[in-house]
Amino acid sequence: MLTLPHRPLRIAAAITLAAAIAALIALVLWAILAAATGSGSSASRIDIPHLLRMTSIQAGLTTVLSLAVGTALAWSLNRLRFPGRDLVVGLFASAIVTPGMVVAFGLLSIWGRNGWINQLSEALFGVSIGNPAFGLSGILFAHVILDGAFAARILLARLDAIPAARLKTGQSLGLTAWQRFAIIDWPTLRGTMPGLAAIIFLLAFTSFPIVLLLGGGPANQTLEVAIYAAVRQDFDLAGAVRLAATQIAVCSAVILAASAMGPIPTSLGTSAAPRWRDAAPARLLQALVLALCILGFALPLLSVLFDGLASGLGSLLARPAFWWAAASSLLIGAASAILTLVLAMLLAMGRGATADGPLRTLLGMPAYAYLAVPAIVLSLGFFLLVRQLGIAPATAAPFVVILANSLLALPFAMATLGPPLEAIARSRGKLIRSLGLSGWRQFAAVECPLLGRDIGVMLALAFCFSLGDLGVIALFGTQDFQTLPLMMFRALGSYRSNDASAIAAILLIGTIIAFVGLPRLVERIANAAR
Amino acid sequence: MVKFTRLALAVLTGLFAAPTLAEEVPILKIYTYDSFAAEWGPGPGLKAGFEAICGGCIVEWVATDSSIGALRRVQLEGETTEADLIVGLDTAIAGEARATGLFADHSLDLAALTLPEPWTDAQFVPFDYAHFAFVYDTDSVTTPPKSFEELIALPDDFKIVVQDPRSATPGLGLVLWIRAAYGDRAPEIWAGLKPHILTVTREWSESYNLFLEGEADMALSYSTSPAYHISAEGDDTIHAAMFDEGHLAQTEVAGILKSSDKQELAREFLAYLASAEGQKVIPTTNWMFPVIDLGADLDPAFATLPQPARTLTLTDAEIEANSQAWIDEMLAAVQ
Repeated sequence: MLTLPHRPLRIAAAITLAAAIAALIALVLWAILAAATGSGSSASRIDIPHLLRMTSIQAGLTTVLSLAVGTALAWSLNRLRFPGRDLVVGLFASAIVTPGMVVAFGLLSIWGRNGWINQLSEALFGVSIGNPAFGLSGILFAHVILDGAFAARILLARLDAIPAARLKTGQSLGLTAWQRFAIIDWPTLRGTMPGLAAIIFLLAFTSFPIVLLLGGGPANQTLEVAIYAAVRQDFDLAGAVRLAATQIAVCSAVILAASAMGPIPTSLGTSAAPRWRDAAPARLLQALVLALCILGFALPLLSVLFDGLASGLGSLLARPAFWWAAASSLLIGAASAILTLVLAMLLAMGRGATADGPLRTLLGMPAYAYLAVPAIVLSLGFFLLVRQLGIAPATAAPFVVILANSLLALPFAMATLGPPLEAIARSRGKLIRSLGLSGWRQFAAVECPLLGRDIGVMLALAFCFSLGDLGVIALFGTQDFQTLPLMMFRALGSYRSNDASAIAAILLIGTIIAFVGLPRLVERIANAAR
Repeated sequence: MVKFTRLALAVLTGLFAAPTLAEEVPILKIYTYDSFAAEWGPGPGLKAGFEAICGGCIVEWVATDSSIGALRRVQLEGETTEADLIVGLDTAIAGEARATGLFADHSLDLAALTLPEPWTDAQFVPFDYAHFAFVYDTDSVTTPPKSFEELIALPDDFKIVVQDPRSATPGLGLVLWIRAAYGDRAPEIWAGLKPHILTVTREWSESYNLFLEGEADMALSYSTSPAYHISAEGDDTIHAAMFDEGHLAQTEVAGILKSSDKQELAREFLAYLASAEGQKVIPTTNWMFPVIDLGADLDPAFATLPQPARTLTLTDAEIEANSQAWIDEMLAAVQ
């Protein structure tokens, strides 16, 4: 396309980065294979086709449901204004980055056999609703809470960014609520859908503890569990690499399919003030959707807050180890958020600067590296690499966590920043060319201010991911280095479930604060710079 | 590039690393699982206790996510491992650990230990034990089953939670327990248990919490789990169900790596670990029985715990030869 500004540097930087990430994954697998030489290669006992079939069904259902629920929720939140709306948005957004275990237990304390709903139902009607939280329905429920809320947050950001001018035109044409969605909203959302769908599919495809906890056991499991068993139980490293390669191949196919769908320019502009209210029936539907979602999504999280704050918060706060863990978590979170921003910007700007299909696909792939490669394989590979570099594993642990968390957040960051960056390149490319702006000026004067809010959402996402995740340093041996999630899991492993629920509540609060605060803060800074 | 990376790492680690220690003091590096080394676990107490008597040494815990993780790490590191000892392996994996050839003989006299079975292991020193058992809450379960067969005969809405034998040691323990009690009838027992199994979790902590939240009637845990609730929470409603078939014990062990250049110090640590001083730390931090008679020093909560009528055993050789097949058998039965 002629309208794209000529940016060879951006493309080169993105290609270099993509190659570096691919090389890192290759190195990780190679390190494990090298360590595996000599270990007996027993024939794999895992029925891979069966696993793939089961997992694909589960992940496919999760994706469709999450996108449908996410769209409905984003639509409602975009239209409705009410006190505490920011808090509700923050709560929904925090679902994706809350450790899966926490969400699962929150879900159970609402919907479980001994949960609020059952207790209410027994008190009012004397009957139990049974136990809907287990089995395939339980897995789907938990996944839709995690992924549907995430989809809603991303889609809401797109809807909120629809320019006021377009809304004004629509309003003056007297569009109905449905026409408004179909003509104004949907074209904006479409550009984000393939990327979102790919992420959600991969999250569900590789989901492990939730599937095991709520799925009822080995009947509902994922490839990831087989890989875990190969590494842990059988110590069959070559087998683990084979399984990991299978998972990478499947995930790559999904990613390719998603990238092959043409990108659709998304709208850009300052967020519109909510002046256009839909007709009464539509508003009623929106309120209903929101109420249902709050019941389904927010209640489990609220119960986590409730449990945590009710139990032993004081004794936890009195412990110095808690403050050390909190400080490490904040440092790690901030460092990974910044690293993620740099990585995502480089990749997304390079991608936005080219119209060449295969190249765009190539630049999109590395973003998903962490989702495709099982955490236990990454953990093992990083451990071996760090040792080969001659660094003590415990010393390297914080850096590995930062890098791993950035890679983990990268696909989400790309989904947040990619579509608006491309929209800028497409819609303002001609202007940028005719003004003869340099790449740097384009970034500082055009992209940065327009992206302010998206950068904020992305930073919040990356920050919170890293608040919640610690899966990758399983082997590193870290006595002094402790983050909040690690402390939480240690407490859970020593009967201290009160401490664990208090930490879970604090993590959740931190997440909500980040999601409410960071987008506003960054938007303000970005606009002030202009 | 590597040089730069190292420099950058060195500069940056200053932010996180603990203060480095003087070279002359011998440092005993011990790999363990993370709740053992946690601040409320036995790690800090054992460190303080041993450092007070070793005449100027430093104990450094290196905590991986699980005991099997610690073993795998040593296997990956081989001869170059920094570890002097591993603390926290259990009897189900001891045979496999021994077969790696990485462990040295402890050459300690352990005749004074009071374990369910006399201890004869040349490489590994036991430091605590408990029997695998299902725990229940007396508030909701008034008549607990007294055997696997009674459990199977209960209505299907009586739910238990167990762990995946491929990822959690108690999960593997249950597979071995049922085998030890029922031999070739094990698949039949698993098939009978299937309708009662609410879910199979990855870790012990997940299933134990499901049980505490009231989602299941019983969870596979340890005969000593009630001691935590009595001693730390003043709650005596959590009990371990005693089964007539007898129970399998999980004995946690420690061993010295052959590659360690501090064999003598490591041996002293093992002797301390199995001594009255070291053992005093264990019960109320790891919530397991001590391996020697502590008399009045044992927390009274432990005295109230029932002991199984019979302790079942399997040999290392049996476990090593069959555990894979037994796990597959269990997975096939509950699938």
